[in-house]
Amino acid sequence: MVDPANTPLGRMLLDEITPVVMVLRTNLVEETCQKNGLSLIQMLSPFCAFNNIDVPVRTASDQPYRLQKFKLRLFYASDIRQPNVEVAKERVKEVITLAGEENFSNLCSDPPQIETVLTTSQSELIPSWFPFFNKELVRTVSFSDHEAFDHPVACLLVVSSRDEEPINRFVDLFNSDQLPSLLSDGAMDPKILKYYLLLHDNQDGTSEKTTKFLTEMRSTFGSNDCGLLCVNSSQDGLVEHQENPWALYRTESSPNHRLGCFLNIDDMDELQNVMQDLSSKHIIPHMEQKIRVLNQQVSATRRGFRNQIKNLWWRKGKEDTPDTPNGPMYTFSSIESQIRVLGDYAFMLRDYELALSNYRLLSTDYKIDKVWKRYAGVQEMMGLTYFMLDQSRKDAEYCMENAFNTYLKLGSSGQRNATRCGLRWVEMLKTRDQFKEATTVYFRISGEEPLHSAVMLEQASYCYLFAKPPMLRKYGFHLVLSGDLYKKCDQMKHAIRTYRGALTVFTGTKWSHIRDHVHFHIGKWYAFLGMFDVAINHILEVLACGHQSKTTQELFLRDFFQIVQKTGKTFEVSRLQLPVIDIPSLKVVFEDHRTYASSEAVGVKESLWRSLEEDIMPSLPTIRSNWLEPRAKLLSKKLKESNVCVAGEAIKVEIGFKNPLQILISISSVSLICEHSARSDEIEVDPNSTTTENQNDDQFRKLATSGVCSSEMSSFTVSEVDISLGGGETLLAQLTVTPRLEGTLKIVGVRWKLSGSVAGFYDFNSDLVKKKVAKKRRKTTQPTTDNLEFLVIKTLPKLEGCIRHLPKTVYAGDLRHLDLVLRNPFETSVKSIKMKINHPRFLSIGNQEVMDMEFPACLEKKMNSAESDTRVKTNSTSDTVFLFPEDALIHGETPFIWPLWLRAATHGNISLYITIYYEMGDTSTVMRYRVLRMHYNLEVLPSLDLSFQISHCPSRLQEFLVRMDVVNRTSSKSFKVHQLSSVGNKWEISLLQPIDSIFPSELLLAGQALSCFFKLKNGRNSVIDKDEDSSISTLEGSDIRLSCRSNEPLFDIYRSPLVDFHHYERVHQGTAQENPNTVDFILISRPERSEGDSEQPNNLFSHHACHCSIANTSPIWWLMEGPRTIHHNFSSSFCKIKLKMTIHNSSDAVASIRIETSDSTSSANKTSVPSGNEAGWHDVSLLNDVKVTSDVLGTRVGKSLPQGCVSPFIWSGVSSTRFKLEPMSTTEIPLQICVFSPGTYDLSNYILHWNCLPSNDQVNQRAGGTKKSSGTCQGHPYYLTVLQSS
Amino acid sequence: MAGTACFMIVSRNDIPIYEAEVGSALKKEDAAQQHQFILHAALDIVQDLAWTTSAMFLKAIDRFNDLVVSVYVTAGHTRLMLLHDSRNDDGIKSFFQEVHELYIKILLNPLYLPGSRITSSHFDTKVRALARKYL
Repeated sequence: MVDPANTPLGRMLLDEITPVVMVLRTNLVEETCQKNGLSLIQMLSPFCAFNNIDVPVRTASDQPYRLQKFKLRLFYASDIRQPNVEVAKERVKEVITLAGEENFSNLCSDPPQIETVLTTSQSELIPSWFPFFNKELVRTVSFSDHEAFDHPVACLLVVSSRDEEPINRFVDLFNSDQLPSLLSDGAMDPKILKYYLLLHDNQDGTSEKTTKFLTEMRSTFGSNDCGLLCVNSSQDGLVEHQENPWALYRTESSPNHRLGCFLNIDDMDELQNVMQDLSSKHIIPHMEQKIRVLNQQVSATRRGFRNQIKNLWWRKGKEDTPDTPNGPMYTFSSIESQIRVLGDYAFMLRDYELALSNYRLLSTDYKIDKVWKRYAGVQEMMGLTYFMLDQSRKDAEYCMENAFNTYLKLGSSGQRNATRCGLRWVEMLKTRDQFKEATTVYFRISGEEPLHSAVMLEQASYCYLFAKPPMLRKYGFHLVLSGDLYKKCDQMKHAIRTYRGALTVFTGTKWSHIRDHVHFHIGKWYAFLGMFDVAINHILEVLACGHQSKTTQELFLRDFFQIVQKTGKTFEVSRLQLPVIDIPSLKVVFEDHRTYASSEAVGVKESLWRSLEEDIMPSLPTIRSNWLEPRAKLLSKKLKESNVCVAGEAIKVEIGFKNPLQILISISSVSLICEHSARSDEIEVDPNSTTTENQNDDQFRKLATSGVCSSEMSSFTVSEVDISLGGGETLLAQLTVTPRLEGTLKIVGVRWKLSGSVAGFYDFNSDLVKKKVAKKRRKTTQPTTDNLEFLVIKTLPKLEGCIRHLPKTVYAGDLRHLDLVLRNPFETSVKSIKMKINHPRFLSIGNQEVMDMEFPACLEKKMNSAESDTRVKTNSTSDTVFLFPEDALIHGETPFIWPLWLRAATHGNISLYITIYYEMGDTSTVMRYRVLRMHYNLEVLPSLDLSFQISHCPSRLQEFLVRMDVVNRTSSKSFKVHQLSSVGNKWEISLLQPIDSIFPSELLLAGQALSCFFKLKNGRNSVIDKDEDSSISTLEGSDIRLSCRSNEPLFDIYRSPLVDFHHYERVHQGTAQENPNTVDFILISRPERSEGDSEQPNNLFSHHACHCSIANTSPIWWLMEGPRTIHHNFSSSFCKIKLKMTIHNSSDAVASIRIETSDSTSSANKTSVPSGNEAGWHDVSLLNDVKVTSDVLGTRVGKSLPQGCVSPFIWSGVSSTRFKLEPMSTTEIPLQICVFSPGTYDLSNYILHWNCLPSNDQVNQRAGGTKKSSGTCQGHPYYLTVLQSS
Repeated sequence: MAGTACFMIVSRNDIPIYEAEVGSALKKEDAAQQHQFILHAALDIVQDLAWTTSAMFLKAIDRFNDLVVSVYVTAGHTRLMLLHDSRNDDGIKSFFQEVHELYIKILLNPLYLPGSRITSSHFDTKVRALARKYL
């Protein structure tokens, strides 16, 4: 433990609790001193502190000790009174303001890092004016009547030798009314030690007169108590002091005035001697003596058991007296005051034991008397004495706390005393490294006075910093608290200083409200002081405060703009947080050989285009690795590596701007920052440019501010966009830069203006570098949209294209004519144009002849079928890539138009991708070809649902019944069904009924369904069979008009767009291969023309139903043929009837067929007829067993045969016939029956077994068992009526 | 229900991951930042105290004027801090315990990254209900 006297508190006490000397002087004395620019006290004070005085002291105890250090405090008599509170306040405030000014100069720099703060020593960190301030604060309570150590111990009377009658002057001085109230009102003994000093100015000439005065004085006041002081020995006043002892008194008003300029070394010696003499020979012995006297008195009256009892008794009695704590209750003659004086004198003479015992004694007295102020004062002194004795710490602290609390209890009168006490207590705690406790004391000291509180809180914060471990957050918090109080007192500079300190703690904190508060306020204060740059930097930090309430956000923004306005210029900020740039949304679109017709086309995945363009793009030009052409190689390699763009073509950049606030912000002049350098052919430049990528911020800033500087004006142009963002909104801004010259263009960043006054910049580089590294790991051959450097090449022709009249929404089946328009604004022509479409089912390329024709009239059927040959050719070419004719050169402003056919095949959302390849007419360019990509989205709504059911016509071979169901699925649209066509030569279709009867309204309204029946005939077979029918077949044809008005022409389904689309439909719905067992239908309908939209294009709807199977379950068809009615005379003989069965094998395998005729089933049929209804017909087959009947009954019960249709007949000939039938062939089998009586007979009682015999190669296929290979069929009903001929 | 009550969860790296004003007192404009300041400063005390006891509930550890800070430290050194002006130790303890359970449920969520902000509205409503119940 260090000596308590060497601790800060110890030094403070030794400095402050020292004997006071009252100084009385005449005006002439002061005049003499002022020659040196000093007052008398100022001149004397440096010599009042003695560090090596070595005076023997003997106090109450007989043990003498020696005082090494001693100090006197000099005060003019007029100053010995309680200082005026207001004046004191003013002075303190002045001190603070002054300190603020001094320290402010270094506040503009960035706040130090927290690590450095922690390592700096206490003395460096704590502002030097704190102790000074504390001293001033303590001084405000000096000369209180309840404490004796501020009471003057001695009186120094100084008279100048120039004064007339100095003796009288001395007497007058002391008797004047100017004596302090302490002496006059009886708080202290008016009989004090006096010392008479005669001041002689050596400049006034000889000292003879002075000597005379001195002897006179000595005789009057006694030789010991008089002294002579000669000053101003230097005549010229040019004395320079090495260490000017008066440096402390240098004032602002006369900084150049040399203090003590007339005082040479002799004078200083004399000053020192006089003061030393005063203290060691007069004051100290006087105090010693007084202590001894007082001690004896106290011992006599108060010590010892008897005295204590007496004292108690007496005190008790005194309780009746009115309690007047502030009145002069204890005069100097009272024993309490004497004890106090004794204690204080002992304390000043360092006899702490004595002091302590007296304080203890006094404290109980005061406590009993309930004079709290005095009690607290004594307690405070006890605490300090304990400290100086370095004894029981607990006691010391207890006493201090007690004193502090007692002062506080007194209310406002004790406040300042409490402050003093607290400050001493704090120092005590600090000495013992109890910083945490110290902070609480500081916190308690900070009373109502905001300025004092501010300083106290600031001191508290430093205590937190020095605590072990450092409590940084508390440090920051208390600095902020203190800063707020400073602000309240208009000490702006101090406020900023504290907040800056707090910033070291709060930088980068995630506690958003804290960060916002600190930055916002410090920013505002800097702005108040006119330091706008720093202010804006701070406020910028809080701009993106999405978590704050709306009003706060508005406040922040408003203040920010006010500050910016005050600067009077557009402020430039490299990392403006408002709005937030959404870097992941950054998208760069540029056109090298790939060009895009619309922005939708850009959004399509590259792989999709690649797959589409596979077969039209020439394979990458294989570099003829020939040493003769190193340049070409280099160039092409470079082309492959870097992004290429063409001069004059815009590079589009899409960036997302996000508004984190809830209020609207407006952003203007958003544009790209670019860098253009002239062409660099050498490849070595590349690494250079990558290194320059890491340009420092300055360069970027310069670039950003210069923007489009004059020299670069010509090399590229950038677009400017204005956007306004609502609360929380994110917008994508589309920015473009158009290079004008060849070379390298680099997009560096983006700049914008917030509310027209603050310019913000964003540097893409910093983030992209990171991103690129991440990319590299994943995929090295990434198409580098992230790389923002572009190689600009010479202007090239570029095709622009669009499809005219392409609707957004169509109904399924819609077929219409569109125009593809290509345009090349350049004079250089392009050639060998190729085109490919991803959905040929939806979009097909037409012939140029169609251009002039009117649709749909061009599709109408003409009588001559000469074109039927040409149609086959077009069919084959349109499949893959369409080559435009060789002579199609596009240049200039002439648009090139080519017809397209659109047919909405199915409903849904369809993406159409069209890519057009073209080569440059001028072959010298770097880029030999380009590709135009077009993309359209088409929404197809459902229109007509078409379904077909085909069933075999039982009565006719090769004829089918077709049922067509059409449902209108639209919500409002009506259709006119126009025509149904079956595709293929071999089919003929006809209506079963005239259309008028089944569908008179013609219109198929929304939601309406329609069913029609048709007859379908295999025309080819019929041609073979009966030649006479061929004329009819052409009449029927493969098309049927479904509209009532017969004058409307039919459409030729074999004409170009229809047949093409049908081909793709077939491919889509199944295979393109012809299958004899399937039939395709095309239904053509037209939309109803409403009055409202007469200008609607003439369009058709075609619905294709492909692969409608005509195949039955069995591949075998047969037909019984023969007479239906026969007249026969049964009287002569039974009737023999010949029948013919035609059997067709429609399968592609040889079929073995067995026909079994049985008479028994006929009887079974008959039994199913209820017996009660028998009328007249004779049943002959009763002999057959009945057992079977019950079995068969169930199966045939549904067929209610006409009553009595069954009569006895027998099949003649073999009961079983077996034969083989070649695939796709027809044969005829003769059959015969014998009928014995007239009647109507059902000849269905035969069974046909068939069995396909697979050929060898088909065995494997059939193994799957998808088709039946054998089966049994019941005979078809065939009714034969035999009548008795007359 | 307390007049002022500000509840906050601070992750182990001293970042607030959840904050709620659960008091019934009318909200002042600067209350939010003042509460943050007090709670933030109280972390210094927690740092000292947390290792001196095995209890999770540290009771009232710090005060600023009439506002008291009570802290509950979970095993993962996440701190549940409550700034309040009422003396109701039992209620606060129960409140902390139940919020701790809720917090553990949040932690069990595989999509929640420990130390990130708690944005669950369910958690928020539950915490506010608990505050009404206990404080």
